Amino acid sequence: MSFGKTLLLAACVILTGITFLHRALNLRAASNDFRVGFLPVTCHLTCPVTDFINKQIAGKSIFDPVRFQGWPELKEAYLSGYTRATFILAPMAIALREQGVPIKIVYLGHREGGDVMVHTDSQIFRTEDLKGKTVAVPGRYANHRLIFYRELKKAGMQLSDVNIVEMPPPDMPAALYSRSVDAITSGEPFPGQTEMDGYGRALYRVKEVWPGFISCVLAVHEDVIKHRRAEVQQLVDGIAKSGKWLDTNMENRMAAAQFVSTLYYNQNPRLLTYVLSQPPDRVKYSQLKPTRPNFEEIEMLAKEAGILKGTAHFEDYVDDSFAPADDVVIAHAYASKEK
Amino acid sequence: MRAIDDVSGAAVSEEKLVSAKPLRETRAHTRTSARGAPDWLSFALPLTVAGFFLVLWHLGVRLSGSDLFPTPAEVARGVIELAQRGLLLKYIVASLFRVSWGFALAVMIGVPLGLMLGWYARAFQALNPLIQIFRPISPIAWIPLAILWFGVTDMAPIFLIFLASVFPITVSAIAAVQNMQPVYLRAARNFGLSRGELFRQVILRASLPQIITGIRIALGVAWLVVVAAEMIAVNSGLGYLIIDARNAGKRYDLVVAGMVMIGLIGLMLDLLVRQLEKFDEVRWGYSNR
Repeated sequence: MSFGKTLLLAACVILTGITFLHRALNLRAASNDFRVGFLPVTCHLTCPVTDFINKQIAGKSIFDPVRFQGWPELKEAYLSGYTRATFILAPMAIALREQGVPIKIVYLGHREGGDVMVHTDSQIFRTEDLKGKTVAVPGRYANHRLIFYRELKKAGMQLSDVNIVEMPPPDMPAALYSRSVDAITSGEPFPGQTEMDGYGRALYRVKEVWPGFISCVLAVHEDVIKHRRAEVQQLVDGIAKSGKWLDTNMENRMAAAQFVSTLYYNQNPRLLTYVLSQPPDRVKYSQLKPTRPNFEEIEMLAKEAGILKGTAHFEDYVDDSFAPADDVVIAHAYASKEK
Repeated sequence: MRAIDDVSGAAVSEEKLVSAKPLRETRAHTRTSARGAPDWLSFALPLTVAGFFLVLWHLGVRLSGSDLFPTPAEVARGVIELAQRGLLLKYIVASLFRVSWGFALAVMIGVPLGLMLGWYARAFQALNPLIQIFRPISPIAWIPLAILWFGVTDMAPIFLIFLASVFPITVSAIAAVQNMQPVYLRAARNFGLSRGELFRQVILRASLPQIITGIRIALGVAWLVVVAAEMIAVNSGLGYLIIDARNAGKRYDLVVAGMVMIGLIGLMLDLLVRQLEKFDEVRWGYSNR
């Protein structure tokens, strides 16, 4: 056979074959075009929990959860209209609002969770001891970074007193283990991981310095709020019930650690099991209705850090009309069959 | 027509007679020993080096006392675990799917574009600066735009792989035409070939060996950017495996397993493309050198 014909035939066979295989193996029919973005972190746990329980109870989900691997991709997928709703860092949502993006926070993702970790045998016991040390912090819109700055100031220190390096939280445990940094701070499960593996010690937990701390929220597109209110309501109710369900008892949490780790996060269940139980109130999933004072505090800290201009306020970026009052939320009527 | 074909063919085969014969002999010599038995060294040498590398790797991890960086055995167990969970095949297929389409599109656009730019000097003058501006931009820089344009579908990584591989192909096709020996053109003109015939029967054939070299390099590049391209929230692929394993806590065995699989498949792809060199249409270009 001639060269051209062989090449053409080979190309056709390869392209058809690989396309067919890919369709058969990897493509799943989207259950719903209402996509909700999330990351495989503890702060976004209610997203997969809601999806899982909905599927168990009703046989189908009310939305299609889309897992991302980092904030930039999650944000861009939202901006492109691919996801209609997304779990997102509160300051990032506010910043997008300031920049004219039609985004509204409708509910909180969690409360508390996240620590400043140092090496177990390090000589750092107070914030002041961090002077001259290298600290890994998450991206600029992370609340954990803002609260860390606030604590530095409280200790009478400047930002320049510590050597700050920005790092994606998934890389932080390895950085602390190899001692390329002296301390790390981020949301769970990464600080918890260092503790579980025995080389990390909490300098302080974020909730000790800011009770009721918020880092991630559920935000939706304004178009969806206008035209698909029923679905947004269903989503928020589902998240609220999942939060309550997670905080009802430890069995639920342990069941969630199993199914979320294996089906949604692709992590060893050991990690979520640890983070959700050691201590049991490390992360909380109740009291999730957005409240003004919380956000005013975030606005203030973010303005101080120079990441927000301060042009958007609570009523601009929050729509709490979907959020049920905290005391009327009831847990999903679901008992896991897993051990 | 027939005569022209024969003549251009004759020019080629004449060259083969002169230079290809000794070269083929030396090639044959490397594959078989003096007695004509298969040369076991050509297999033993790379295997020994690879084995040596694995031993060094293992000792390095053991001596450093690191329990984060995996040993070769741990990586092998990671690969087996992926295979048992049915993920290995899925991920390989997903990556090959994206690379195949991105690369095929790059060939379909890059080769004709390069041939055209190599032939029409004015078009080259007009478009070359733009190509040179786009060429050094890393596919990673395109990720945000790819997501904004294509969302989180397979199209986004395919687009990134296309971008990474279309430029080496275009540039090599341009160079192939520009560096073509003028004697072919003069001969073709003497026979009064029409423009279409000239393109198909002389220019394309004369530049084919160099284009194939460009394609080989581009396939390497396409496979190289698969990790970056799959950083986008696709939920499958070897690149995705690496990024996902980073998020999965202490699973650096899977990170390295992903790297190893990418390397091994890259090796196989290269061996596959090298089969093209067996065709006479391509081989004459190599035997010329």
